[in-house]
Amino acid sequence: MNKEEILEKIQSIFRSILDNDDLIIDYKTTSNDIEEWDSLTHIQLIVAIEKTFQIKFTSKEIHEWKDVEEMIESMKQKL
Amino acid sequence: MTANEFSRIFPQKIIKNFIVDEMVYKSFQACSSDFNPLHVDDNYAIDKGFKGKVMYGNILNAFISYLVGECLPSKEVIIHSQNINYILPVYLNDSLELELSINAIYESVNAISLKFIFRNVSEKVVSRGIIQIGILA
Repeated sequence: MNKEEILEKIQSIFRSILDNDDLIIDYKTTSNDIEEWDSLTHIQLIVAIEKTFQIKFTSKEIHEWKDVEEMIESMKQKL
Repeated sequence: MTANEFSRIFPQKIIKNFIVDEMVYKSFQACSSDFNPLHVDDNYAIDKGFKGKVMYGNILNAFISYLVGECLPSKEVIIHSQNINYILPVYLNDSLELELSINAIYESVNAISLKFIFRNVSEKVVSRGIIQIGILA
C-alpha cells in the first residue's frame, strides 16, 4: 500500500471518528488544523487505525508524529 | 499503570449479578424523567407485543457503570466509549448476569476494549456490547 492509498483510507477514518463528512486531510495536516481532533478523538483515531489496518503502534511512535505524513510513514513500515 | 499491566491483572472474566427491581426502576425513571408508556403502562406494552412494561435499556448502562467504576482490578480508569445492542426486553424483577472480558488492548494509547454480555435467568443474551476504557496515568 503506497502513501496515497493510506491517506485515502485514513481520510475516511478521520471523517467517521471526527464526524465530519467534508473533512479533507493532507500530509501536512496536524491536530491544530482540525477543531474536532482533541485528545479523546486522537485515542479513537489511533484505535480505529490499528483495528482497520491490523497494526499496532507504540506510544513512543505516536508522540513523535508531527503531522499526518509522519503517521503514514509509520504505518507504511508496518504494512 | 499501562494497558498491558492492567490486562495482566484482569481476570479472565468478571461476572456480577443484578436485579432490575422496583427501586432500580423508579430511581432510573426519576433520573431520566422518561415516562414513555412502553416503560410505565403494562397494558400498553402488552398491546405492543411485550409481556409487560419494558425496563429502560439504559438501566443496563448504569450496571456497566458500576462494574467499570467499582469492580475492575484498578479504579484508575475512564470510559471513552460504549456501544450497546439490545437483543431481548428486560422486565421488572428480572435477574441479569453481566459478564465482562477483555476484547482488545491498545497499548499505544493506554486503552482497553472490553466486551460485555447480559444474560437473563434463562441464560438468554438480552444485551451485548463493547466499552472502551482508558487507563489513567
